[in-house]
Amino acid sequence: MTAAIEVSHLSFSYDGQTDIIKDVSFSIPKGSYTTIIGHNGSGKSTIAKLIIGLLAAKSGQIKILGEELTEESVYNLRRHIGIVFQNPDNQFIGATVADDIAFGLENHCVPQEKMQGIIEECAAKVGMTEFLDSEPTHLSGGQKQRVAIAGILAIEPDIIIFDESTSMLDPQGKASINAQIKALNQEKNLTILSITHDMEEVAQSEHVLVLNQGKVELEGTPAEIFAHEKMLKSMYLDVPFALEFSHACADAGIDFDAQLTLDGVVRALCRLK
Amino acid sequence: MNRIALGRYLPLGSIVHEMDPRSKIMIMLFLMISIFIPAGVWGYVLIGIYIMICLVLSKLEFSYALRSMRPMVWMMVFLLIINCFAIRTGTLWFSIFGLGIYSDAIYQTLYIVVRLTLMIIITTILTATTKPLDLTLGIEKLLKPFEKIGLPAHIIAMMISIALRFIPTLIEETQRIMNAQASRGVDMENGSFKEKIMAVLSLVVPLFVSSFDRADQLANAMEARGYDPNKPRTRYKVLHMHSIDYVGMVTSALVLAVCIVLAVVL
Repeated sequence: MTAAIEVSHLSFSYDGQTDIIKDVSFSIPKGSYTTIIGHNGSGKSTIAKLIIGLLAAKSGQIKILGEELTEESVYNLRRHIGIVFQNPDNQFIGATVADDIAFGLENHCVPQEKMQGIIEECAAKVGMTEFLDSEPTHLSGGQKQRVAIAGILAIEPDIIIFDESTSMLDPQGKASINAQIKALNQEKNLTILSITHDMEEVAQSEHVLVLNQGKVELEGTPAEIFAHEKMLKSMYLDVPFALEFSHACADAGIDFDAQLTLDGVVRALCRLK
Repeated sequence: MNRIALGRYLPLGSIVHEMDPRSKIMIMLFLMISIFIPAGVWGYVLIGIYIMICLVLSKLEFSYALRSMRPMVWMMVFLLIINCFAIRTGTLWFSIFGLGIYSDAIYQTLYIVVRLTLMIIITTILTATTKPLDLTLGIEKLLKPFEKIGLPAHIIAMMISIALRFIPTLIEETQRIMNAQASRGVDMENGSFKEKIMAVLSLVVPLFVSSFDRADQLANAMEARGYDPNKPRTRYKVLHMHSIDYVGMVTSALVLAVCIVLAVVL
């Protein structure tokens, strides 16, 4: 089986001297949910831009669904891969929600007769049906990010990249987008690559890459990654609140397994005698 | 921002609102040309009646159309004064402080005032009954034939629609920067002229920086979603002409024709 995204020996620099990405290799299987974490300046967002073809690599190779990303293939590959950026305002192109969802369809020359149906379907998937005629100024950040997701779903991609998509949202918006991402991965079997600072989101993913100074420092499941708590803290990264709570309980002499999610904590607490 | 009457869309759901933006732009063009043809008093009466019918059909209030003329009042007064000095033909009506006021000066000013009034009412009807984006689409479609001679109609339309889309966002941003600077002690309202310029500068520079940043991110988002100005695109919104559109275009073309005839005969 070919990987959804295969990155091998990728290097990149903005100024031609200092490499922001240094010989990075990783592979993301189809249908998986991967998060990339790393402190500011570790090259996370740069990797996203390289994968979507907005930046050109200095050396190395990126394969998307088995096809190498080149200047010629990038336009076609963008039919298979979508990205949701950080700032909800700066990626809302249409005048209304419907227009914005239509933008990607227009670019990919979807026949006009089919658009209305696709737009309604995708708006329903993200729960924005009643806002189809709304203008962006009347939407919250979380709603705008939902529209961005709908716009990407409209072109039926295989892979969606989230580039810190929840970092400008309030806790409620953050939770709803995280739930949406998880649902997309589980129900639609979409490959998700999420770049994030939100450790609660990392805990719900299957696979984690830790970037530090342009290199992959750690790789594994959330449980494996968070076992290196000291190392993460030395890279200015957090661990989920649930894990910190579990450790604190263990330190206090309570028999408590390490938990990554609040649900897990609740369940473990209920089992306590 | 709500006080600006000129150029605002009013969702009144009239028959004019339903019309195709292309025909509305064409009607506006025909009437504009008619206004500039020297067809005499009867020409203006005809155009005036036609525009009044449009105004009634669009369900706009006359006072609303007049309100958008308020900024022009001082210009008209200025024009009258200039004309009184400059035009010294026709019959002498009366004199103020030894300056003779001639009939032609008054007539000339009246003509210009009538022209301006009619033009403002037409554009007010157009913008009040057409959403900015529909207007953009209409302009794009009308400019389409010029693509053959290298005019990038769809790129122009995309630029206009993005500019329109970001006006509220940038107003919000301006407000935020003003608040941020005010909290740091910048006074936008008081002080000497030089201090005011400096205060405005403290607003403009960050606004420019953030706008460029925004533009960069927007360009990335558009490119990532497959936008390529040089590739063909399909369109979500389509325009449909109805009988009312043809009626409007034919009648406004007739008004233009009558004005031309009047101008030639007179």
